[in-house]
Amino acid sequence: MNSSPNKRALTKATLIKVAFRSFFLQASWNYRGMMSMGFLYAISPGLDKIYDDINARENAYMRHFEYFNTNPYFASVVMGVVLALEERLSRGEISDEVIHDTKEGLMTACAAIGDGLFWDSWRPFVAVASLIFASGNYMLTPLFFLILYNIPHLYFRFAGIFWGYVEGTHVIRSLKKFQFPQIRQNLRYGTLVLLAYMIPNHVNVHTPFLLTNLPMEFFYFGEKVVQGIGATLLVALGMIGCRARVDVLLISFLLMILALVLYHWGILI
Amino acid sequence: MIASLLIALIGGIVDLDSTATWQFMISQPIVAAPLTGLFLGNLYGEAAMGLKLGLMVGVILQLLWIEQLPLGMNVPPDAALASVLSVALGFIAGHSYETYSEREVCYTVALLLSVALGLLGRSLDMFVRRLNTGVDNWVNQKIEDNQFWAISLGHTLGGFFTFTKAFIFCFLIVWFGVEPLKYFTQTISLKHSSGFIVVQGLLPAVGFAVLASMCLKEKTELKYFVAAIMFFTVLPAKIWLGISAALIVMYKTRPRKKK
Repeated sequence: MNSSPNKRALTKATLIKVAFRSFFLQASWNYRGMMSMGFLYAISPGLDKIYDDINARENAYMRHFEYFNTNPYFASVVMGVVLALEERLSRGEISDEVIHDTKEGLMTACAAIGDGLFWDSWRPFVAVASLIFASGNYMLTPLFFLILYNIPHLYFRFAGIFWGYVEGTHVIRSLKKFQFPQIRQNLRYGTLVLLAYMIPNHVNVHTPFLLTNLPMEFFYFGEKVVQGIGATLLVALGMIGCRARVDVLLISFLLMILALVLYHWGILI
Repeated sequence: MIASLLIALIGGIVDLDSTATWQFMISQPIVAAPLTGLFLGNLYGEAAMGLKLGLMVGVILQLLWIEQLPLGMNVPPDAALASVLSVALGFIAGHSYETYSEREVCYTVALLLSVALGLLGRSLDMFVRRLNTGVDNWVNQKIEDNQFWAISLGHTLGGFFTFTKAFIFCFLIVWFGVEPLKYFTQTISLKHSSGFIVVQGLLPAVGFAVLASMCLKEKTELKYFVAAIMFFTVLPAKIWLGISAALIVMYKTRPRKKK
């Protein structure tokens, strides 16, 4: 397809179609090519538009049926860049090795950015924020979680493909403007504060001693202090377990046994 | 029977979300568990109770596996199936009991059981991925013969495997799991059964520990963290207090624009 350099082959509608198809990126996740099939499935409307010739199209399909693995939310950025490069290849401006190398480099970068941002920072933060509501028995908590979580998700997915397609390989520079490491650190601090609020307030440690030994006017305060200390101790024990790479399942069962024993002795109620 | 099918359907859809498609995070326990509770509660005419159980399960399971990230080859435990099954088993088994404490025992035992089922779900997930590798090879051959329709078919097949796996798994567990759970609850005498309420109250601590060990990276942060816990211990328990404190800290440490 020989068009002038300024004219782009893909319309907005095609790009949005590709972005929608990127929702199904990991459906056929496998050990050979990881998301290879999903990637090809997602960009195939774009490839069909770029290559009219059946042989060129087959070559393009074969080229992209290869190892691909990145963060699913940032995959659309890679797709945009790849489509822009394919367009240039169809005009004979670059060779197909450039596409391969760019794709490989970009998918690694996007995996690092996306996994760090979404799995490591954003999801824990939103989870803790909604857990606070859940512990207060607010029934709309799941809705709150979904809406808050999906705002950046959908933003990156749909805006990403346009960034990639318009800016091509320069997209990594404009991604840097977001200052992801600082955002991640910021989110981590937020998570820690919310966690510090949740630990003394949402672990239920009650002892019968306070009821018998403490005057009534101090009872509420004493109960809170005992809860705070008890919860902190439990969490500290759990943290030591986590740091020592003990399985979570084992920690839960040990906690269960500990709780039952303490209950049996009448320390916990 | 209807309940098992309903749970199997919910499990299948929710599990599709966890890795295969969309990834809106319906599969996170904090969403999946209340959702299951709502549907199941509607079926039994106790929607509010189901939702409440769902929130309780969601709170505990949400943080348990949060450090297990789906990076590269790593397959995290199936938190989605664990939360769906935990609510389903707990609710259906507990439904037949009248007293509060017997129901709570059902809930807690189902919760602990489902943690193990989540690990089993991971093995099933790996099995599906191995199936997908076979599909991948098949599609590769088809493309070489210029048959492009194979991509869509193979890709859809992958999603279909995931759904079927979750559907059958949930159906079988609910179908066969409720009666043993009921039997187990009957064997525990009432005196010990309220111990399980204590266990339920303490279980969130494991999740908090997991998240705290993931987020704390420096020694100084640990100091501030302990100080913050003490601070919130003394203050009255108000949700808005915690949220506003978090917002203040995040605002103070926000990323500054480089000059």
